[in-house]
Amino acid sequence: MCKIEIFDGAMGTMLQAGGLQPGACPELMNIENPDVVKNIHNAYIEAGATIIETNTFGASPLKLEHYGLTDRMAELNTAAVKIAKAAAKGRAKVAGSMGPTGRFIEPLGDLSFDEAYQNFYDQAKALAEAGAHFLIIETCIDIQEMRAALLAAKDACDIPVICQLSYSEDGRTVTGTDPQSAAILLDAMGADIIGVNCSLGPEELVPIVKTLAENCTCPISVLPNAGMPYLKDGHTVFPMGPEDFGKWGVKLLEAGASYLGGCCGTTPEHIRELAKAVKDMPLPERRLPAKKLWLTSRSKSVCIDKSLPTRLIGERINPTGRKKLAAEIRDGSLLGVKKEAVNQVKAGAHLLDVNMGVGGIDQAAAMKKAVTEIAQLTDAPLAIDTSDAEALEAGLKAYPGRALINSVSYEPERIAQFLPLAKKYGAAILCLPITPDGVPKTAEERITVMHKIIAAAKEAGLDDGDFLLDALVMTVSADKNACYEVLITLQMYRERFGYPTTMGLSNISFGLPNRPLINSTFFAMCLAAGLDAPIMNPYDESMQKALMASAALLGDDPNGLAYSKNEANLAVPKAAATAKVTELSPLEAIKQAVIDGEKDEIPLLVENALKAGMAANTITEQALTAAMTDIGVDFGAGRMFLPQVLLSAETMRAAFNKIKELTPASTAPEQGTVVIATVKGDVHDLGKNITGALLANSGFKLIDLGKDVDSTDIVRAAIENNADIVGLCALMTTTMVQIDKVIEDLKEAGCNAKVMVGGAAVTQEYADSAGADAYAPDGVKAVELAKELVQK
Amino acid sequence: MPVYNAPLLSIDAKETRRYAGLQKAVDFDEEKILAACEDARLMAAPKGIWEVYDYDCENQIIKSAPPCTIQGQKIGQHLAGCEKIIALSATVGEEVEEEVTRRFNAGEYSTAVIMDAAATAAVEQIADGMEKALTPKMAAQGFAMKWRFSPGYGDWPLEQQPELIRLAHADKIGVSLSSSLMLMPRKSITAIIGLYRKQAETAPSHSPHGCAMCNKTDCPSRKQ
Repeated sequence: MCKIEIFDGAMGTMLQAGGLQPGACPELMNIENPDVVKNIHNAYIEAGATIIETNTFGASPLKLEHYGLTDRMAELNTAAVKIAKAAAKGRAKVAGSMGPTGRFIEPLGDLSFDEAYQNFYDQAKALAEAGAHFLIIETCIDIQEMRAALLAAKDACDIPVICQLSYSEDGRTVTGTDPQSAAILLDAMGADIIGVNCSLGPEELVPIVKTLAENCTCPISVLPNAGMPYLKDGHTVFPMGPEDFGKWGVKLLEAGASYLGGCCGTTPEHIRELAKAVKDMPLPERRLPAKKLWLTSRSKSVCIDKSLPTRLIGERINPTGRKKLAAEIRDGSLLGVKKEAVNQVKAGAHLLDVNMGVGGIDQAAAMKKAVTEIAQLTDAPLAIDTSDAEALEAGLKAYPGRALINSVSYEPERIAQFLPLAKKYGAAILCLPITPDGVPKTAEERITVMHKIIAAAKEAGLDDGDFLLDALVMTVSADKNACYEVLITLQMYRERFGYPTTMGLSNISFGLPNRPLINSTFFAMCLAAGLDAPIMNPYDESMQKALMASAALLGDDPNGLAYSKNEANLAVPKAAATAKVTELSPLEAIKQAVIDGEKDEIPLLVENALKAGMAANTITEQALTAAMTDIGVDFGAGRMFLPQVLLSAETMRAAFNKIKELTPASTAPEQGTVVIATVKGDVHDLGKNITGALLANSGFKLIDLGKDVDSTDIVRAAIENNADIVGLCALMTTTMVQIDKVIEDLKEAGCNAKVMVGGAAVTQEYADSAGADAYAPDGVKAVELAKELVQK
Repeated sequence: MPVYNAPLLSIDAKETRRYAGLQKAVDFDEEKILAACEDARLMAAPKGIWEVYDYDCENQIIKSAPPCTIQGQKIGQHLAGCEKIIALSATVGEEVEEEVTRRFNAGEYSTAVIMDAAATAAVEQIADGMEKALTPKMAAQGFAMKWRFSPGYGDWPLEQQPELIRLAHADKIGVSLSSSLMLMPRKSITAIIGLYRKQAETAPSHSPHGCAMCNKTDCPSRKQ
């Protein structure tokens, strides 16, 4: 279908050589100095280029704003095409060049998707109407910008569109997209040629071209720089000479590219050598990938296929029947949704279903926001779950990947509205065999409906690789054949269509007791019958276990290795924990638990000690306080670190709480009262909080006034509470001076409390000069000093 | 004023350990660190903004309108030979620090401290992400980048924070200053990056970087 085509090389440097002044708009040359542009085109055509690019890389409305030339956008683009066509005289085709806007699209930047779309639409229309043979969107580093540009180009005209991203040395675009995900997504969206240009030299681009070629069926283009640039005497130098550059042409062809050319640092000589090197080469045969169901996020691709392990689609981002989540969504908070996204992926979900079905809200806005936020948080591809076409489009537009549409049934509205959206945005569809008459009962009937959906989808332009078939689970307590029909349906899907399968499982057990047992048993049966990607709750332990066991039984986990490892891991920690506790006396055990920060275990240890007749005071003094003393020593010696000390403080707190709960009469001996505050103007309170927590758990009564506290408030609190100690914290040199003021005010008010100070910028010398009684470099030292101060 | 809200696909657990002062505590529960990093990430709203200005390195003047004279010898030396500078600001937003306070008040002291450290790691990562996006942009114009330098480093006085907020348009991403010149939200960065024309084959002369330039050698967070 394709032959080798040769693109031209760099334009900018040649424009400069032709008189373009630094800081001037390069595209203005199309009007003011058309002969220079024409001569460049001529030089490349004579060197062997079969496609030349128009001088319009920066001629989009947003880019032209920089020069105040936005209103001349159409004129500049039209002139550029005319010059190129006049130069080509039929010897070469003309590709209208569209470069990036230089801004990032929301949420990475402040440019909206729609603004970006309009920007590219206007330029694409101008280029196509002037007679360009191709559009080439190039040097993009953000897949969202590429998506906006591609959608715009396809809407504006019918000429073929070339999509070229730029990758960094780590093989990803600056915004994280890998070539595999880019190829899958852009292919699905209808790009005619997919490629790469700029940033790297031909050597670095060979593996990227290979990945692109392995993941899409369209032709591949590659326009490398003349090697990796460096700067010499104020000028960018590209080290690769024409001959070396030309030699790489063969390697790039073998990697799968058929459109070759040059980017920064290349000249007509480079193109001449390139053309010469590949001129007599037959186009190497390219093995095109099989049409499989791939979904992508901004930075990852996931395949669902019968030859691969089961993929879990997490179902938890769904407010149906979940009052708290629904209320949050209604209030515009996405915290719960974000938590579910992260936690499901952690629990093993490969894809996430997103449903924002809350009544009385703007569905489209909610879906856009949810999809945007989740895509920033996880790299699992998304399924957009809605019955509202507007919400679906909002979600698809916002998503920087190839999403799954959940779902397309054989209902006229869904067919009419959802299929064109799937085609436009390159989404895959989850096919649900439901008709306006309801759910077909038997497997045979479901197959019939499925044939109709697939036919309609293919009519709309979708193809193999775009479908995930739902087997439709009904309730077994209402229909005794519900399970059986699903199993048959799964088998028939595989035989008749060969597409991967899915289903929502839990419906099967509705109305039955011990639903997890039914669900996991059913799950195992379905996996054996050919289920590829269940939609389920990934936190459900019985389902996860059924999946592990099934994988071992069905050969997906060869010899049950993963299964064995998992079972072994589950067995280990419990045994270790019990062994440790039993070796120690009750007091030693409590003390050790505090030192180790065993917050969850200490209440039981304290309870047992009290039940065994031990006095609360004995526990406090001989175990808890003793532990804190040891901790202080270890901390001072650099054997223990602050978060560990705090974990011990939490454990102390849990112990005190238990003692109070079981022996309310016992009052812990109070060491004294401390009023503590971060001084006025200072908003850093972590250090103060740490010190406060340690004091409170060492028997001091703590009055925490918070941060940014005025001197008068500190003085008043010290007097009202008859404080023994006032603790002041300041982090910065700019706020430290407040310490002096508070100390002065305390003296003036006749307050006798001792003053202890601390904070990052505070030193012993500063404390002395301010008249403080003590300087605490850290929270642990503060406790020690506080004990000394109250005894003075 | 270009905006780039560099995404946070994870928060660096190793850096979080370092900021929490846990570098030497090898046996400290990694799960706890990872969980705090995840929680901080949920609350984080990464934002970043920058602007490029011409720079007169002889007189330490940023040619903004109105111009800004940079005070401090260290920063002057650091920017020697630079023709332009980037003024940038980054933040993780306020929600993380609110959550840290909530956790502390709920008695989850250690988690609060680790989340605070995770937020510090996060804002550094956001600024790193911005640098990564800026590097090729600047290289295309023939410039290499010096490492970022913030008020408070060396002898660059905090009193110049308001100028830096203005130069970076930090208000556009919700970053402001308290009357005592503290950045709000706390987990925010303002910085300057010098742009110079790199000579071939000669290694750029960078002054000591990050922890290596700091005199506080007993700092628990000092890079090992």
